[in-house]
Amino acid sequence: MSDIVELEEPIEAGHEMRAEIRKISNRTRSRRVATSKAMMILCLVSLLIAAVPLALLLYQLLRRGIPVLNKSFFTSLPSTPTLIAPNATGGVSNAIIGSIALNVYASLVAIPVGVLVGVYLAETDSKLATSIRVIAQTMAGAPSILMGLFAFSFIVHDLKIGFSALAGSFALAVLMLPVIIISSEIAVRNVPNSLREAGLALGAKPHKVSMRVVLPSALTGIVTGAILAFSRAVGETAPVMLVIAGGFTNAWGLFNPVSALPLTIFENAKSEWPSQRAQVWGIALVLVAFIFILSLTARIWASRKQKVRN
Amino acid sequence: MTQVPTDLRKHEEVVAEFSSATTSRTWYFYVLIAAALLFLALSVGFVGTIFWTSLPVWLHHGFTLIAGKGWSSPTGPFGGLAMIVGTLETSLIALAIAVFIGLGTSISIVFFLPHRLRNIVATLVELLAAVPSIVYGLWGLLVLAPWMQISVIPWLNKLPFATTIFGNPGQQTGTSLLLASIVLGVMILPTFVAISREVISVVPQDLIEASLSLGATRWQVIREVVLPTSKVGLLGATFLSLARATGETVAVALIAGGVDLTQYHLLYPGTSIAAWIALTFGESQSNEIAALMALGVLLMLLNFGLSLVSRSLVNRQRKLLAVV
Repeated sequence: MSDIVELEEPIEAGHEMRAEIRKISNRTRSRRVATSKAMMILCLVSLLIAAVPLALLLYQLLRRGIPVLNKSFFTSLPSTPTLIAPNATGGVSNAIIGSIALNVYASLVAIPVGVLVGVYLAETDSKLATSIRVIAQTMAGAPSILMGLFAFSFIVHDLKIGFSALAGSFALAVLMLPVIIISSEIAVRNVPNSLREAGLALGAKPHKVSMRVVLPSALTGIVTGAILAFSRAVGETAPVMLVIAGGFTNAWGLFNPVSALPLTIFENAKSEWPSQRAQVWGIALVLVAFIFILSLTARIWASRKQKVRN
Repeated sequence: MTQVPTDLRKHEEVVAEFSSATTSRTWYFYVLIAAALLFLALSVGFVGTIFWTSLPVWLHHGFTLIAGKGWSSPTGPFGGLAMIVGTLETSLIALAIAVFIGLGTSISIVFFLPHRLRNIVATLVELLAAVPSIVYGLWGLLVLAPWMQISVIPWLNKLPFATTIFGNPGQQTGTSLLLASIVLGVMILPTFVAISREVISVVPQDLIEASLSLGATRWQVIREVVLPTSKVGLLGATFLSLARATGETVAVALIAGGVDLTQYHLLYPGTSIAAWIALTFGESQSNEIAALMALGVLLMLLNFGLSLVSRSLVNRQRKLLAVV
């Protein structure tokens, strides 16, 4: 008898204890769930906060930019407003032509050289390659104003070429190079080794395999990287502002002083004429629209190609 | 942002066989190595030219440049303390903003958003990064600065310790160090999000599932597993964002006020190294240009140092996860 009694008591106690434990654990569990929910909401709120500037910026760009876009904005030269004609801002054709010239010259040099260096980094395995990789990664994050200082002291001052499109596109080329090198190295590395081996198995020489098999398959990645580097360079002000002297004619020659769209924004944003401050929004809208279209097309094109290959 | 090649080690092995043959003395090899050497020469020239041009300033006025107050064009002395203080002040505040908001953003992109939205939001963040810095500057100058002046500054001045932090109401301006820091924060946010998202999303699924199976809530998984596993990489993202912030030029030149005041009050106008170079370079003569180049050397050292630290941290994170 006594055994049974002794046995029952602990079981009773166990029940109570278990109920107590369940009560406590329910309480902590609901607290944990509540904390989890609260932190999740906090994270989503910060996502919203991150989205607010983009929305506000795009809204302002469209609202203030669209009204100033017209035919003469794109086709005529700038003029300074006067008291008699306070709205005579003219157009920005000089800056459009200057921007195109600067970026085309820069890409003509930076894209081929950058792709070649990228291929070199991906296909070889030497100390030189390792150090160039580190240099390219460091240069890719360098402040863009330093490219301007470099172009000034090397092209404008040392080579005595003066303020010119050449100096500006030199600065932009130095800016684009590391970006193109890194992206094309990744593109070449991502080519499956089976392709290389297949080429070698067919008896092709290694440099033929690299040229005829690896490069064509890496082309999508290389082109995407080049487009993204180009679209970054189009919007850069700091590297060109020190060396192109902002000309007021439709010049595009290598040795002419030229203007550029971002530079015109910088110079006119603090203008005392409201008409010039308004026109700046049009330039910003054109610039942002061009960059968005370029980088979105590149991304969509790349992901389509990727799907086709898979 | 950057894709990590999936078969890295296998690639190295193949390259080891392949490279000696590719780089056998063919014209292809010579073209590749010529391009590589050209880039190397350009980089050496980049560092060398800027340093060489500023050498006289370092030899004769090095101390003034680092610790002197006041920048008197065109003859000197050229004191860079205001710019150095301004650079550190604006970029650190911007970093605080970007890390706080960016961490929440990356966590929600990776863990809380449904799959379809995830890609859209990631693309939006990348678009934010593609907006040129001059457009942010324009937005800050023509939209935010008037708004600060009218509605934010009177409110800020009612806070406790307002004069200690923000300065005297009479001397405050719309374009100020605080405005520059906020806009800088918005500008470096995409950089931080891009890297921290990558770092967070490669935390092994096994670890996450193991702690979920032990009854952890989603937040506990994030706090006890995801963040500790990825902390080295997150630190790397922080350093890289700081490097970006120190180098931003035209936006800060437009909205920081462009005055070489050595002070820390947030609502006074100020400047940064990069912005000061952009603002004063156009009217400078030889001595002043050398001094500006010397400021450029400081900026370069700061930036390169930060990005090397950040790169080694991110690499260490990759190795850590490769072991796990």
